[in-house]
Formats: sequence, structure tokens, C-alpha cells
Amino acid sequence: MRSKHRGSRDRRGGGNKSHRGERVPENKRREEISDRGPAPALTRDVRKLLEGIGTPKAATFKPDPFQTEALAALEFEDVLVTAPTGSGKTWIAREEIRRLIAAGKRAWYTTPLKALTNSKYQEFTAEFGASQVGILTGDRKENSDAPVIVGTTEIYRNQLFDSLRGGEDVRTDLVILDEAHYLADEDRGHVWEEAIILTPPRIRLLLLSATIGNANQFASWIEEVRGVKCGVITRPGARPVPLRVALLLPDKRLLPLLDDNGRLNGEVRVLVERAREDRNERSARFGRRSRRRFYE
Amino acid sequence: MKLSMPEMPPATLLTALSNYNLLPAIVFLPTRRRCDQAASEAATMRRDSNDKRREERRDFLRSFVEQNPEIRGHRHWDTIIRGGVASHHAGHIPGWKLVIEKMMSAGLLDAIFATATVAAGVDFPARTVVLTVADARGNQGWRPLTASELQQMTGRAGRRGRDNVGFVVVAPGIHQDPERIAELLKSPPDPLVSQFRATYTTLLNLLDAFGSFAQVRQIAERSFAHRNAATDIVRLERAQVEMEQTILGKVKASGCDLNLSSVTGFERLVSARSQLQDSKPQTRAEMFYRWLDEQVLPGRVVGIGRTGRRLVLVTEKRDGNVRGIREDGRSASFGVERIGRVYSPTYRLKEDFVEEAFEDVRTRGRELVLHEPRLKDARAEDSAALQVFDDSLDSILPKHLNADEKQKCTEILWSVLSEADELHQTVRRIESLRDEVWAPFEQRARVLSMFGYLDFVAEKTTERGRWLADLHVDRPLLIGQALENGLFNHLSFSHLAAIIAALTADEDRDYGELELEDPLVKALAQIEEIAFTVSTEEWKQGIEPAPELNFSAAAATANWATGMEWSDLVDETRAEEGDLFRMLSRTGEALLQIAGLRKAHPRAAQTASIAADAVLREPVR
Repeated sequence: MRSKHRGSRDRRGGGNKSHRGERVPENKRREEISDRGPAPALTRDVRKLLEGIGTPKAATFKPDPFQTEALAALEFEDVLVTAPTGSGKTWIAREEIRRLIAAGKRAWYTTPLKALTNSKYQEFTAEFGASQVGILTGDRKENSDAPVIVGTTEIYRNQLFDSLRGGEDVRTDLVILDEAHYLADEDRGHVWEEAIILTPPRIRLLLLSATIGNANQFASWIEEVRGVKCGVITRPGARPVPLRVALLLPDKRLLPLLDDNGRLNGEVRVLVERAREDRNERSARFGRRSRRRFYE
Repeated sequence: MKLSMPEMPPATLLTALSNYNLLPAIVFLPTRRRCDQAASEAATMRRDSNDKRREERRDFLRSFVEQNPEIRGHRHWDTIIRGGVASHHAGHIPGWKLVIEKMMSAGLLDAIFATATVAAGVDFPARTVVLTVADARGNQGWRPLTASELQQMTGRAGRRGRDNVGFVVVAPGIHQDPERIAELLKSPPDPLVSQFRATYTTLLNLLDAFGSFAQVRQIAERSFAHRNAATDIVRLERAQVEMEQTILGKVKASGCDLNLSSVTGFERLVSARSQLQDSKPQTRAEMFYRWLDEQVLPGRVVGIGRTGRRLVLVTEKRDGNVRGIREDGRSASFGVERIGRVYSPTYRLKEDFVEEAFEDVRTRGRELVLHEPRLKDARAEDSAALQVFDDSLDSILPKHLNADEKQKCTEILWSVLSEADELHQTVRRIESLRDEVWAPFEQRARVLSMFGYLDFVAEKTTERGRWLADLHVDRPLLIGQALENGLFNHLSFSHLAAIIAALTADEDRDYGELELEDPLVKALAQIEEIAFTVSTEEWKQGIEPAPELNFSAAAATANWATGMEWSDLVDETRAEEGDLFRMLSRTGEALLQIAGLRKAHPRAAQTASIAADAVLREPVR
């Protein structure tokens, strides 16, 4: 596999200077971690790209404004939080659960995946104590009378079915739908819709979702079907840690992918244009040949 | 525009990243195999000379074994310790993936080679995310990444509290496309699109809870999917009222005493009349062709060409193409339109009878020729039908009108014809939008009614339907029918597990070729029979066919349930651990569901309970 790539690189080697790789075949050299080799000379662009790389100084945790805002809104209404993974959506859920436990109330935390359910179960037992938390999945049922239940969305939906048929209420005051964007999953998405439609309006809903294009439309649908107001909280700036984008070239050089205006960086643009010309030329040649063959 | 660059060997890639201080990284690769290869290649080519970190990794793995014995001696064990790299994808068992995730967050790994599945769910970040392709593998081969998929991947770049900045590195690759990645990074996230659909389980539960189709329908119409339809319906209804007013305004202005139903009735009649005319052949050739298409059938002899002298015995006809045998015994294939004559008898298509057929036609030729219809006859039939329409058009007008008024009213009816047509289309569209969400439920209600799980007329679940409502499995009706037919009553627990696996596993995934025992083969054949009956009824109602049974899953599960070692199962099936794990775990869950039917099916429930225990043992929990 690798030797094939190398072959194609050698053929192209003479053409493009900036593309030319090292002459020493890589498989003859052993990459030593400790021996990084000389640090590459950094151009101004790359220095700027890498500026600030590293670990921040340890700081005491302070919740983001969007987190406290979501928590405050939950006192009065359903809340849809849209933010990328790792930006602290779970913190909101955890603090709300803490508040409910203190008030002697109950919560149901649903996730789409068993692995996620297990890890939330661990997290919550560590946080609130084993007696406070139960888990329900397709093959695991522990402490199912606990005030806090972690489980798959399917199991929660099934409980709703049972309660509708048996005339008993679902025993919870808050339902958290983690990864709520699973509503768009082709196979299982309908379960999320059923859960939202069938959850009694007296139960508060907290939906945690990845960023989606139609959060307001989604929330206003929830308001309609449940008759309860549903606020939308979006993390401003979208990402908890800023993101920079780079292009790595076969000669191990790094370039910023974008310029200051968010367009392709000049050097990258040249490479792309050259690839486009190459292709056009090839297809023109190929086109002529195939026509000729047709007439022969 | 693809920027095709030779891919870097994984170790070189890591060195390049390390030169810029960009580790640890998650490197996204398109396939599981590529992830495994990259990890072991990188581990061979680079060596972590930091003894302390190597020791830490070894200790970490060892400490994890106590809790998760199934990871002991994993084939990637050394790769991780020596190279500080790992692969992470759906082919690994959850226990192993968890170790990798924990080691990564403990800062013990430099890189993870992963497929896009790591992008979903569990929080698992790194300083840098490396993209090697701008495509993703879909159900039908390769397709471009979507904005949301890319966002899920780039969401892994930058560890909160541990990185000031996160990086996305577009790395060299044969199918790399920096232009598109830049484009996707800028595009807004995809909107959430409803996938609401009807299932047997939902229908039975809602009907049992609410007791009428109308109420089930009301719930279905509250779905996110129907919400868009609902706004369309409101808009169309408004348009409908406007159209009606326009039409009535025009009619009134002309001084004609006509109501809306006369206008729409007239439009329907005119439309039906023109449809009748369109569907009738207008030329002799057209008529002849249609006649040929009806008359040329396998077993008949036809004459080719205008004179029809060359004879062919037809063996097959499809889409206007005919295959047959010539008199000299050679085969022929031609279009229907080349036929000039058709002979009436149908001969047997056996080799011995071919000669007889041609002999018969040659001797009695004339009297056997079918006569083509004449255009004049066909036209006479039509004009009679058209006359009926014309009379009905007349009768739409009020009786008391005199000739002048009639003339005027007919003119006004013709003048609003296109508005009336548009009105009709609008009403039809509203009806179909109204039915879109409900229709699939009704189809399923009819099927369930056929098999006695609900009473369609009384709009009630039957006793049978109530236990089926409790059975939360992928294909409840099929399993319900198997239970109802007593199929599970005489099965051993391992065979029951095997059958449920055959129904639960993905239809196209291969779990090896272990042997199936005879009684199991027999039971699988019975299940196939039931599946056929069920899918025939479903097909009649327009429900898509269910997937095929997976026999290799059945064989693997039977072996697992009777005590095969995990490592032997993996070796003998040659399936990936993660795939086996998922299949068995889903099978176990389905068995637990059946085990819950203690009242309705005590015997099957008991077997299922034993089977579930046998399947859900370490490492499948």
C-alpha cells in the first residue's frame, strides 16, 4: 500500500517544487519520538496560525453564561440547548438534577447509546451517591426506583407507553434528552418524537443537542405539541476552544488553510488551481481519444 | 476540487504533527482496516523512547484488566504500549474502546486512528483533528461529507481547560479536497429533519391507550414531520378559498345562476372526456401496435414482416421485445412492431412440439390468423361514449334556462375551466397531505387486523395485540406470529437464541460460516415460511419488504449460547469483535423482551430467559 503511494510521489517529484518530498524513503528511516529533528522554520503565517498553542493555566471552574442562563430558564420553561460536544451541556443537566434531588424531586436522563448511558451512570453515582441513581437499558436494570434514572431513550418511551395504557403517571419531574439531534436518525429518530409528544406537560423537558440549523423551528414545534414554552439557548461563538485550520503538505510543511478573510490562503489556492488545470487537460486529452475510438 | 496528494505513512504524519507541537491528535481514516493498519504501522516505525510513559501505559492497561478481563491480551496491546498510538472504531468491543478513551484523556496516547463513528456520542477530545479524506462511506458507496458530520469531527479538536487552541489539519490524501472542507467549515449546520414513521409497536400501544384511530391519528399529526405538512395545508386551504371566490365572482358577474358544484362538476366531466379521448388510439398504426402487444404471447406463432411469411414461435415477451424460435430451430429476437401476423393457437413450449406447431400453422395458416381490429369500429365505440359525456355536460345547467341563457352559461363554464382545474388540484393536494402521516399507520393497522392483533372495525387491540404491544423488538409481528404458532415451544434455548439472532442481525453482515444443526435448520425454515406469510400481507398493503434472515448470525449465536469461548468465536467466525458484540447484545435484549411474556407465552418466555442468560455473558453484558 505504502510503496504504491511512494511510486506515485516519485513520478510527480520533478514537476512541482513545493510538492517535492524528501529523497530519503520514509520506510528506511525510523521515526524517533524523542528525536524530533530541528524545529521547522516558521513563516509569519504559520507563526500566527500556531500562536497561543499549548495548555492554559489551571483556572477555577466558572460556568459559562449560557450555562447559567439555561439553568435559570429551566425554572419557568422547557429548554433546548444547542452547543457542540464538550462545551458543557452536561453541566447544566447535572446542576438541575442536583437542585431537584435537594427538593426531593426526580429526574430521567435519556441517551441514545448504551456506552453513553453507562458513562453517565458512573458520573452521576460518583456525584450524587449510588442510592440516588438507577440505570435502565435493554439488558441492565439497577436501582430502578431511584430518584435519578439514566437510560436509553427507547426505554423511557416504553415507560410512557406503559403509563398511558395503565393510567399511571410517569414518575419524574424532569426529562433530559441528551443528544436530542438523534431525532433526525433514520432508524430510531421517531422514538425521540414520540417521547417529546407523549411526555405530560407537567414534566419539564431539557433537550441537549449538537448545533442544528433550525433550533427555533424545532423549539416552536415542541411548544405547539406540549403547550409549554420552550426556550432556545445557543452557545455564543459556538466553540468552547477556538479552532484553527491548517493544510499539511506531503513535504511536512504546514500552511494556514484560510486567509484573514476566511478565503482559501493564496498558496493553497495556487495548488487547487493547478490541480484543476491538470484535470481539465487530462479530460480534454481523454475526450479526444475516446471520440476517435468511437468513429473507428 | 480534489487535491490529490500522496498519503503520508502514519509515522511520518505523526512526526510532522509533532514538529509543530500538534499532538495528541485524532486522525480520521475512512475504514476500520485502515485504522488498525495505521496504528500498528505507526507503532512499528516510531518508538516512544520515554520509558516512563511506556510503563504508565502498561500499568494503566493492567489496572483496567481487573474490571474488564476481556481486554487481556488484546491484539493491539503491544501497539499501544510501545507506540503510544491506538485505533478506535466500531469493530472493537466497548470495553476496549473505553480503555482507549480513558488513556487518551489521561494524556498517555499521542494519536488515535479512528473512523467517523468516534465522532458521535462520548466526549473524547484531542488537541488536533486530522482529516485525510473529504468523503464518507454511506450506504451506497462513497459520498461527500456533510457539514454536520464535519462539525462532529472538528468538535473533537481542542480540549477544554487543556488547550488554548484546537486545530484541524487537512492532511495529504488521494481523495483530499481542501476547497470543499473550507466550504463545509463555513456552512451553517444541517437542519434537523424529522424521520417520524409508523411502527407496529407505536400503533398498538397508542390504540390500546386511546381506543380509537381518530386519536392515534391526532397524535401522529402532532409529529414534527406533519408540522411542515400542516403549514402547507393551511396555506393551500387559504388558496382554495381564494380560488373559490374568484370563480364565483366571475360566474356572478356574468349573471348566470350557477353554484360552485356545477363549476367543479363541469370541470371533472371535461377532464374525464379528454382523458377518454387521449387514451384511445388515433391512428391505425397505434391501434395495431396495442393490439399486437395484447395478442403476442409465449406459445403463439407469429409471422414477421409485412407479409408475415417468416414464422417464429414466441417463447418470451418483455417491454415490447420478443424472443422466439425460428423454423430452422435457431433463436430470434425482435421488436413487437416487426410482427405482421399472429396465429391464434397456443402451443406447448417443449422441444418436441416445436416442429408440430410450425407444421400446423403451415397447413391451416389462413384459418388460424387472428384478425386485427379496424379503426372505424373502435371509433364508433368511442363516439358513443363521448355522446354520453356531452349529454351529461348539458344536464349540469339548470333545467329552466332558455336557449340563449344556456349558451351564455356554457360559455362562462368554459371560461373558468382552468381556475376550476387548479381548484381541483389544490383540494387533491390537501387530501394527500392530510393522509401522508396517517396512511402508513392505516396500512399497518390492516395487516395487524389480518393476523388478529387488532380489530379494524371496532378500532380496538385484541388480547393478542396487547401482549404484542409489550414486545419491544425490531420485528414484532414476525416474532408474534412465531409465538402464536407455537414455534418457540419446542426449541432448545440455544436454537431460540439463534433464531432471534437471525432476525435481529443486520441482513448484510457476515458472521462466518459455522455449521447449523439440523433442528435449527428446520426451525429457520419454519420462520422463513412465517416471514413469507407476513411479508405477503405487508406487500399487499404497500409496506416495504422486511430484511432477509441472517443465517451466519444464527450459527454464531448457537455456538456462543452453548458455551464457546469468546476468542474461539472471534477466530472461527472471523468477524470483528465489535460486530459480534453488538449482534449478540441486541439478540440478548430481544430475548429478554420475549422472556417478559410470562403470562401470554409462559413456555417460550422461560426458554427465552435461559437463552438470554446464555447470550448475555462476559464480555457481552
